Amino acid sequence: MPRARNDILQGTLGLLVLQTLATRGPLHGYAITAHIIQASAELLRVEEGSLYPALHRMEQDGWVKAEWGITEKNREARFYTLTPQGHKQLAQEQESWTRLTSGVRRVLRYA
Amino acid sequence: MTMLPRFRRLFRIDRGAVDVPVAVADELQFHFDMTIDELLAAGKSREEATREAHRRFGDLEQTRLGLQHIGRVRVTRERRAQWWSGMSQDLRYALRGLRLSPGFTIGVMLTLGLGIGANATMFSIIDPLLFRAPSHLAHPDLVNRVHLATQYQGKEFFRANYSYRTFLDLSRDTHSFADFVGYWPRNLAVGDGTETQERRVTGVSASFWQLFPVRPELGRLFSAQEDKVPFGENVIVVSWPYWQSQLGGRRDVLGQHLHIGKLDYTIIGVAPRDLIGLELTHPMGFVPLTSMATNSFEDRGAGRRYYDSYSMNWLQLVAERKPGVSVAAATADLQQAMIRSLEQKSALQPGSDPIASLKPRAMLSPIQFEAGPNRSTATKVGTWLVGVALLVLVIACANVGNLLLARALRRRREIALRLALGVTRGRLLAQLLTESLLLATLGAGFGLLLASWGGSVVRHTLTPDAEAGGVFSDPRMLAFAALTMLVAALLCGVAPAVMVLRADLAGALKSGSREGGYHRSRLRVGLLVVQGALSVVLLVGAALFVSSLRQVRAQPLGYDADKVTYVEQNLRGTALTDDQRYLLLDRLVQRAQELPGVVAASRTTSVPFYMDWGEPLFVPGIDSVSKRGDFVLQAVTGGYFRTMGTRIVQGRALSDADRAGTEMVMVVSQSMARALWPGENPIGKCVKIAADTLPCRGVVGVAEDIKRGSLSDDPGLMYYVPILQYPVGAFGIFVRTSAPATETADGIRRALQAEMPGNAYLTAQPLADLIAPEMRSWELGATMFTVFGGLALLVASIGLYSVIAYTVAQRRQELGVRVALGASVRSVLQLVVGDAMRMMAIAVALGIAGALLAARWVAPLLFHTSPRDPLILGGVAAALLLVGLAASFAPAWRAAHIDPATALRSE
Repeated sequence: MPRARNDILQGTLGLLVLQTLATRGPLHGYAITAHIIQASAELLRVEEGSLYPALHRMEQDGWVKAEWGITEKNREARFYTLTPQGHKQLAQEQESWTRLTSGVRRVLRYA
Repeated sequence: MTMLPRFRRLFRIDRGAVDVPVAVADELQFHFDMTIDELLAAGKSREEATREAHRRFGDLEQTRLGLQHIGRVRVTRERRAQWWSGMSQDLRYALRGLRLSPGFTIGVMLTLGLGIGANATMFSIIDPLLFRAPSHLAHPDLVNRVHLATQYQGKEFFRANYSYRTFLDLSRDTHSFADFVGYWPRNLAVGDGTETQERRVTGVSASFWQLFPVRPELGRLFSAQEDKVPFGENVIVVSWPYWQSQLGGRRDVLGQHLHIGKLDYTIIGVAPRDLIGLELTHPMGFVPLTSMATNSFEDRGAGRRYYDSYSMNWLQLVAERKPGVSVAAATADLQQAMIRSLEQKSALQPGSDPIASLKPRAMLSPIQFEAGPNRSTATKVGTWLVGVALLVLVIACANVGNLLLARALRRRREIALRLALGVTRGRLLAQLLTESLLLATLGAGFGLLLASWGGSVVRHTLTPDAEAGGVFSDPRMLAFAALTMLVAALLCGVAPAVMVLRADLAGALKSGSREGGYHRSRLRVGLLVVQGALSVVLLVGAALFVSSLRQVRAQPLGYDADKVTYVEQNLRGTALTDDQRYLLLDRLVQRAQELPGVVAASRTTSVPFYMDWGEPLFVPGIDSVSKRGDFVLQAVTGGYFRTMGTRIVQGRALSDADRAGTEMVMVVSQSMARALWPGENPIGKCVKIAADTLPCRGVVGVAEDIKRGSLSDDPGLMYYVPILQYPVGAFGIFVRTSAPATETADGIRRALQAEMPGNAYLTAQPLADLIAPEMRSWELGATMFTVFGGLALLVASIGLYSVIAYTVAQRRQELGVRVALGASVRSVLQLVVGDAMRMMAIAVALGIAGALLAARWVAPLLFHTSPRDPLILGGVAAALLLVGLAASFAPAWRAAHIDPATALRSE
């Protein structure tokens, strides 16, 4: 699979998507990408080829729920909402992310 | 994209997996469009924007496929979850329904349990006889028994026993077989002194262990080197049950010695627990076939030894085809080798029948002996009983179907309401079937309990030799019960289901249970008639078998089987000359006569249903005596006729005064007298035994006919000579006691055993035991048909009662009006009972027709009983009508005494 330049670290995509849905409420896939770009000040770019499989897998796992709805521009889109299970998952991923980063930071500082 | 899928999506109407690709495409398309919009807004041209969007997306096709896969998995999972939740809902609903009507539930459970139990019982008996391959067989599909069909006097006979030489010929001259196995099960004395007991030992060729490639529980198996002609090694692989019960399951048994027959064997191994071999029960052990031959046959000189003679047919053959060789090809190969072997035999024995006249035909039959050409009467009766059990199940299902239908009718309004509220017929059907499945499961559990108990009883009568397996531990048995259960559930559930599918919504909703309730369901009447008709068929069967059994028992045997014991001597290697053996038997007769309770005793040569002795006969004036029948010689001492209770109808009996040197005499049976000298006085006629050149033997008496080989059509051609004038066959004696032989046989054996020299020992069998197997098939047929027929009748009469009672309850109002308008008790009784009797009359007519149709096939199993006996048919018809009358009378009586006021006021 061809890699994009600003590829997101493995395993963090889920965290980003869950976090996005938790703060912004129901969104369609395009809006999720847009939010992540904007919120990261264009540092992070989610690749479409990974986003949708990730979303659908989260749906299968019951972390998000998908529903067809209408956008402001009156277009039909599939909206994703966080489920209670998804909230739990988000908390877990946040914690493990914090642990990871603090660990990495310590190693960097040690050097 | 049309409007329709969007519309559907908006309202979240899921069409399942079909929609997945569309949804995926739509979602991606949306993203794509949004990206392009964004790029256009940033001032790119449409062309550039499209290219950039494509670049950002990467491999679109792969993503699409990935998403579709995920989607399909999700849909399947959801659907499964839905199905399970529906199922558990139905189950809870059904359980609640059943708990609410415990009487109904228990009734149905018992009815179905009887039906399923009857089938499970019969299956457990028939399965090992006809279907199940012996355990540990490496390639069950490639293994066959070898049969040889030959023609004799226009009839075809099937042989399963061969000489060792034929075994060698066939193994050598065929190329289609990977393995040829010869085996011979035989009862031999095992052990020493008081521990001695006759047990079945099976001699098998070493190739047996290729057919059954087992790992012994202990020790080792024997090899071809130990199964060598002429003398095999005296080694034994004991069976697991023998090891457990007689050797204490100890692990140090290897190397121990066992005295078996006349040889001393060394235990080299213990067979695995479930290795039974080629028969139905465990032998005590397996020994090399050649060692078995040494143990059993004397060396009688060149050409008459077991391995160079064609005339000793003692072993059975089993062959395993090479993989890929068809039965037809292997049979052709076997046929060619068999003919060569028969030609060899003819060359060695010039006197034998010409091969062409025998029309020999080699056959590869199923490994299950009973599935081959020589199936026993027990198996035939058993197969019939399988059919009978199926009928019982059908009757049970018809009855349960009827009860379920009544329930469904009572719930008509509820069902109609649910249909009107949008519950699909499919869902409703699923619910009804869940209920009947649940009932059938309960029934199956009860049925298996019945089978585990009933099975052992029936098996004991039908196949006492077969080994019993646990009903609950046998996967085939459980699979069968599950299958029967499913069939039963479907059969029972079908009637109410049909009703639901045809339900007339509006009608059922409008009417209260009052008006809508009463309509005579044609289906219910049909089910009732089917039950009645099948009961008639079974009862006719029962009556036919009972009558057969009575006829068999009433047969004059020509001797008192109940009071006579046959005592046989077994020398077990103790070397005695013929004269010594005769003297020993005379001493046994002498000693027996002195025992308390013994009335008389005699030496004997032939034993009814056990063994016959024949010699060529020559009668002046008759060309070929053998063409007039198969005459059996009985050489006896003076007390014979008194011992057996065989009557002398003319002339005199033999006595101890008839000895060597006195006048040569004989007694003939009535049939023999008729066969040889029709219309003449047989007394004084001349018969020569063994050779035409010998002097005449004069007939001095005529004895009544006896049954010796068949209860049904025994020719009864028997002649008696004083054993002192014709010393043959020194095997045993008959002893008559005043008490039944079953009580005295063992005491006699013990008392006489003291006379036996060396290792020689005696066995004692009541004569009745020898005849019992002949009666067995009729006994079983009579018992089982009666039990099943009685069950069927019981179930049918309960069914009739419930239908009539139900109808009466439904017609309460109408009947109340009739009574109010002055209908007499008598006329109401007539009305209700007449209804029932009409149904029963139809059932009886159909049942009798069915019985007449089956007559042709059942006739060969009957004994002196016509399957069309008008007395039996009439009797059964009358019985069924009577039962119908009884079952309908109580509800009719109630109907006739309805208080019109309450009936009209109610509801």
